[in-house]
Amino acid sequence: MSLRRSMFFHLLKRGLLGRGDRPLIAFIALAVASTMITAMLNLYFGLESKLNRDFRSYGANVTLAASGAQALPEDASPKAQSVLPKDSLVAPFAFAIAHASNGDAVVVAGTDMSQIQRLNAWWGVSRWPGAQGEALVGSKAESHLGASSGAFDLQFAGRTLHLRQIGTLKTGADEENRIYIPLSTFESWTRIKPSLLEISIPGRSRQVSAAIAMLQSVFPGMQVRPVRQLLEAEGAVIGRMRSVMLACTVLIALTAVLCVFSTLTSSVLERRRDFAVMKAIGSSQKTVNILFAAEALSIAILAACTGYLLGSGIAAWISQANFHTTVVPQISVLPLVILASMVLALMAALLPLAQLQRIEPAGILKGE
Amino acid sequence: MFFRLLYQSFRRQQRRKLLAGIAVTVGVAVATAMIAIVVDVGDKINRELRSYGANIVVYPQEAALDVRIGDQEVKPATSGSYLNESVLPNIKGIFWGHNILAFAPFLETHASIEGREVRVIGTYFDKKLRFGTEEFTTGVRQLFPWWKVEGGTWPDDESNSVLIGSQLAKTLHRAWEQGDLTEFGRVSGILTTGGPEDVAIVVPLSVAQKLAHASNAIDKIYVSALTKPEDAFARRDPERMNPADHDRWYCSPYANSVAYQLQEVFPGARAEQIRQAAQNEGTVLSHISGMMLLIALASLVAAALAVSAAMATTVLERRQEVGLMKALGATATAIGSLFVTEASLLALGAGLIGFALGDVIAQRIGQAVFHSTVAITPVLLPIVIFLALVVTIGGSAAAINRALKLDPVIVLRGDA
Repeated sequence: MSLRRSMFFHLLKRGLLGRGDRPLIAFIALAVASTMITAMLNLYFGLESKLNRDFRSYGANVTLAASGAQALPEDASPKAQSVLPKDSLVAPFAFAIAHASNGDAVVVAGTDMSQIQRLNAWWGVSRWPGAQGEALVGSKAESHLGASSGAFDLQFAGRTLHLRQIGTLKTGADEENRIYIPLSTFESWTRIKPSLLEISIPGRSRQVSAAIAMLQSVFPGMQVRPVRQLLEAEGAVIGRMRSVMLACTVLIALTAVLCVFSTLTSSVLERRRDFAVMKAIGSSQKTVNILFAAEALSIAILAACTGYLLGSGIAAWISQANFHTTVVPQISVLPLVILASMVLALMAALLPLAQLQRIEPAGILKGE
Repeated sequence: MFFRLLYQSFRRQQRRKLLAGIAVTVGVAVATAMIAIVVDVGDKINRELRSYGANIVVYPQEAALDVRIGDQEVKPATSGSYLNESVLPNIKGIFWGHNILAFAPFLETHASIEGREVRVIGTYFDKKLRFGTEEFTTGVRQLFPWWKVEGGTWPDDESNSVLIGSQLAKTLHRAWEQGDLTEFGRVSGILTTGGPEDVAIVVPLSVAQKLAHASNAIDKIYVSALTKPEDAFARRDPERMNPADHDRWYCSPYANSVAYQLQEVFPGARAEQIRQAAQNEGTVLSHISGMMLLIALASLVAAALAVSAAMATTVLERRQEVGLMKALGATATAIGSLFVTEASLLALGAGLIGFALGDVIAQRIGQAVFHSTVAITPVLLPIVIFLALVVTIGGSAAAINRALKLDPVIVLRGDA
């Protein structure tokens, strides 16, 4: 028994190392296949979170508003922050209609400037205000108020607020009609509390819906509304890209599989004589099959591991170069790749063997 | 002799040629499909994003300041100025008219319903327009596909049917149903948008114009145009460009240049990009196209390696043939050229089939994912065939070289 076993390993070793380029080519073909499959699967699984991140730059995807003309509860902002996933952004807004010194009405919004700066990175702002009494003036409001000189006064409920314009805001939307000032300045001037929270929740649509449900239960009676335009566009684009990636993965896997198959098949067929000799000197069909399978499997496992490392590297490089984020290689891909590689190698090795079985060893050895 | 060898090689080694041919065909097909998809995916995703809202807004230069918080609002003292509705079809006539996917005009006014003052928004729902010989339909249904009408249907643009905003419907005293008569038209359904329209009544534009006593008037146009992500050149001020740069800027589909062209259609109007859409789409688009490009590159390399491996195997199998030829006195050049010619024929034949197959694959994917065809430029054919030639010849070259170096005696004895 031990003699047979050592013979088996001897043959296996010769099959792997004593045949020149042959196993190397099979190894390269399998490694390329595993590399591409690993890279594509890694990118495929990482795609959604990367695109989710991109879509977060659009700003809030959920708004929470007090119903009617009421204000939100005092601690709404920290309370919302505490129930939301981390990395969520919450920006409170309070609004009032004030009058400029020329009598024109204008909407003034009080908000948390540092949160807004992160939430609405797409706002075209010449300079962000920070200190008390500094204002960010929408470009339309600016031309109506003639406030470009810098300092201006606003009236609300008989109280005058003196403001300095620090920056101009361009958005192409309603925000341009308004004047934004720090929330603390706004509250001490108007005594109006925030009535709206703009919220950006990171993550997939399921996580966003869960967060919306959570907000709804924490703030009963308030209106929690998803920004449908954004969520629908995001969902559609991610869905499309997933399908495209899946199609590309299948295509690439198909090429790799076909080439591996043709390489391995011909390499087995070429060894008809080995096969015939083994049978002629009395080895059973089972032993020969096991020997060839063991050969193919050892190449496959080695190639799959090499391919996994290379493929993870390629996926990491693509995300780094393109999305400027590092990806953690998906370890769950490894067993998948090894399994695929093994199945592929086994099929490619055993199918031609089944063909050879029907031929008499003598015929092969005579060269027929 | 050369051609006889060539002919016999293809006739007698059908299995090998078939395997190598399949490898090349599949490699070329995948390369073709990948390139076609990568080239097109940016455009497709751009269209996808553009179907979610406008990226350019046009309004009168003298427009009054909007003073509104929720449904609380201060009406401007001076009546605002308007844009002319009859000029609208000319939007299709601008330089980048074909890139205008949809637009909708708006006119806001007020009316009382159940003794309450409410906002009334007039717009096109799905209006038939004609520009020159071109007939097209446009309106909010195309521009804002997330607007939903419940309990009814979209009103006809020529009728005086109205939609009631879902929030407004809740605060009014009676439950509205389709067919109910309001002060100015029949209710056609309840509208949910997630925006300020939820607290308003949305009506066909002509109804709003009658209510506002302003015929032909509109006060805002939202436009969705296919644009190119903004780059450093696009951010320059067109007023300060030299004529050549200005022409280049004008003829590039940047959001700003399309806005500039829209401004030319409407005298006294301002057109601006809606930064939320225009700025962020660029990021998403460039990331998606960049990733697909890198994937395509990686898959080209992989296909090349895989095809090379398959070619190398088929040549390695033929060491005995090479040995025999050498033993009979063929020079290395003669043998080499035979193999290279074989590889080239294979690449050409399989390359053509692969290109056609790749075209079919790309179309299938385009249909399945984007419901539209994928454009394949004919220029791709010579490029792909050239790549196939390089890969097949390159893949066999190393193997041929090795086979040539072996001693014929050893090869023919079967020891190598």
